[in-house]
Amino acid sequence: MSVGHVARVLEEAKIATIVIAVKSFETRMRMMSLPRVLLTPQLLGRPLGNPFNEKLQITILNRAIQLLERADRNGTIQDYY
Amino acid sequence: MQKENRPESFEAFIKSFFYGKRSDLSFKFISELTPENASIFIQGLFKDLMDSFDDDDLERVRQRLLQGQVEGYKEQKNFEYDDGPFHPLQKPLSSIKLTLLTSSGHFLKGRDSKPLGVENMTQEEAERRIFDSLKEAPQLSEIPFDSKSEDLVVRHGGYDIRAALKDPNVSFPYQRMVNLKDQGVFADLTVNAYSFVGACSQKRLLKKTLPDWVDKFVNLGVDAAVLVPV
Repeated sequence: MSVGHVARVLEEAKIATIVIAVKSFETRMRMMSLPRVLLTPQLLGRPLGNPFNEKLQITILNRAIQLLERADRNGTIQDYY
Repeated sequence: MQKENRPESFEAFIKSFFYGKRSDLSFKFISELTPENASIFIQGLFKDLMDSFDDDDLERVRQRLLQGQVEGYKEQKNFEYDDGPFHPLQKPLSSIKLTLLTSSGHFLKGRDSKPLGVENMTQEEAERRIFDSLKEAPQLSEIPFDSKSEDLVVRHGGYDIRAALKDPNVSFPYQRMVNLKDQGVFADLTVNAYSFVGACSQKRLLKKTLPDWVDKFVNLGVDAAVLVPV
């Protein structure tokens, strides 16, 4: 919820945002009408994957950053596979 | 008169994982399941564990946990907005300045914000006092992107921090941001990454702290922010 509020306020201040969240938070993210969200199939507390999996962390983060550019409307929610 | 020793109900058992006598932040979602679904989850987990012992493949256990967590959280609807803002990126990625802000509760050693006025609060106390934290305004921790991971501390009463203790990048991917900047994916980073404890008063966050945070990011010339909830 907190990050959802941060995203909404930053967007209003003309700062684009991308949220990386675990799949379990999908309902929360959708209910908050966020601009861009990447949902990861990871366990709670590990949205970027398991510890020291540098390759996976970079891939997830890169996918999220690409979504910053590709999204063209509020509510762009994508699953990471 | 001697106190009656009643057996614990299954419903009480599953509720106890949510800040009760069996508090477990990785399994607190069980309290959100119906007793029927909780029993199916636990039984399935036992079965998966035995199969995983046999073939040394933990993926089915991970999938079982993931499905349980998704099921447990799917009805949580604390805030609802019909629509929301959208600010399109004004430049190509290769020329933007990014920052990182997470609600993971990371901070630098020696720069503890002393939540609830407590010096050196432990993770155990943070969990025990979670409902006090939910009344407080959040404190923003500044963490230089070139910090060593061994200089970071994490404490958060709302989630299981064990993975984040081993590697902060699981929820605070500050080193991975540097990796992607070095690869030329985007142009620049702020000097600091930012973190706060997301288990805070939403009213205070919106009214008191967020306006200051926004001013800070605007003054830093940030084009976009990567945000990570936990």
